[in-house]
Amino acid sequence: MSKQIFNVCLYLLLVFQSSFALAGNTAFSPLKETFPAANFSLNDINGKTHRLSDYRGKVVVLNFWATWCPPCREEMPSMERARKKLINDDVVILAVNVGEDEDTVFNFTGDYPVEFPLLMDIKGKVIRSYPVKALPTTYIISTDGLVTHRTLGGREWDNDKLLDELRRMQHKPERKQ
Amino acid sequence: MAFIQYAFHMNLLIRPFSRYHILLFTVLVSSSSITQASGVTTGVDKQAKLPYWQYENGAISIRFIQRLPDQTRGYFMARGFSADRSELIAGSCVFQTVFRNISKTTTPVTIDYDMRNWQTIQNGHTGQPVIREEWASKWNKLNITVPAKLAFNWSLLPTTQHYQSGDYNWGMATFNLTPGSRFDLKLSWKQSDEQHHIVLPNMQCAEDLQIDPQG
Repeated sequence: MSKQIFNVCLYLLLVFQSSFALAGNTAFSPLKETFPAANFSLNDINGKTHRLSDYRGKVVVLNFWATWCPPCREEMPSMERARKKLINDDVVILAVNVGEDEDTVFNFTGDYPVEFPLLMDIKGKVIRSYPVKALPTTYIISTDGLVTHRTLGGREWDNDKLLDELRRMQHKPERKQ
Repeated sequence: MAFIQYAFHMNLLIRPFSRYHILLFTVLVSSSSITQASGVTTGVDKQAKLPYWQYENGAISIRFIQRLPDQTRGYFMARGFSADRSELIAGSCVFQTVFRNISKTTTPVTIDYDMRNWQTIQNGHTGQPVIREEWASKWNKLNITVPAKLAFNWSLLPTTQHYQSGDYNWGMATFNLTPGSRFDLKLSWKQSDEQHHIVLPNMQCAEDLQIDPQG
């Protein structure tokens, strides 16, 4: 009996430790002051041009990353799972690679296959137009082009709580007639 | 008689627990960390397999993991630095840093730091970390290529940062100290509106180990 109690305690200890390790990685923080998202035009690794303004009316998850950044790599698979779960929603994920070339990013996709656009900011011009201090940093841009939220470090992007928050943001507040 | 009864009783109690105690002990010790006073721990980082120094208080967690000079040379040479330029970085004292705001979303706090307020203390002499902006000015003078400068800039821990609950960064922290040297690091940060300080004692820059191929 005592052994069983001990087993339960040990199990709870381990569960608590693992859940604590994930705690905090399923939320993004609202900015104190929103700001207009700087428009940009970047090519993806297939040479297709993407303008941020093309996505006006949708919620944009704008991620800045690099292949050599461990937390960036870590969150990529969950971003791809989130993309699949949000396929019928007006939410898009754009991942801006900072300072690397197409070959490096193309090789990366061999290990981390994703279908959302991987945009090439080779000279780092776009990242300089956002107040980014470290990688990965992700901004959430509202349907009307305002940066409203930010995350530093990786997140579990396919977490239900986080997906619900993104889905909620795609609905514009009703305006009074 | 009483002693025999006591021993018998204890044996019954202890025997079924012994291997579980060993298991628990193993679980708790497996992190190979030594907890010191006031939330400072040291040990060997599981991933890097190199020594670390860490402070944690329920809101902030900051870990400094040694980086071998050879790791740093290889890393930056792979990102466009020449051998002699990468030597400038490898020859200083480099730590991989993991800085986290671990406060719970139910009781969130904000964390703000400025590396210019951090201090190294070595044999009574104080110094400061070498921050991004100082390196950037050096690289501009040495005509380092744009991709190499970008890789370097984003690889370093930012000079200042603001973290909300769940936020974290990885980044290299560099100090103007020689490989192998020991020092204390005085950290300061703002936790919501409260200023905090802690000293990580007896940190050590990684030795510049050169393996002789002749054995």
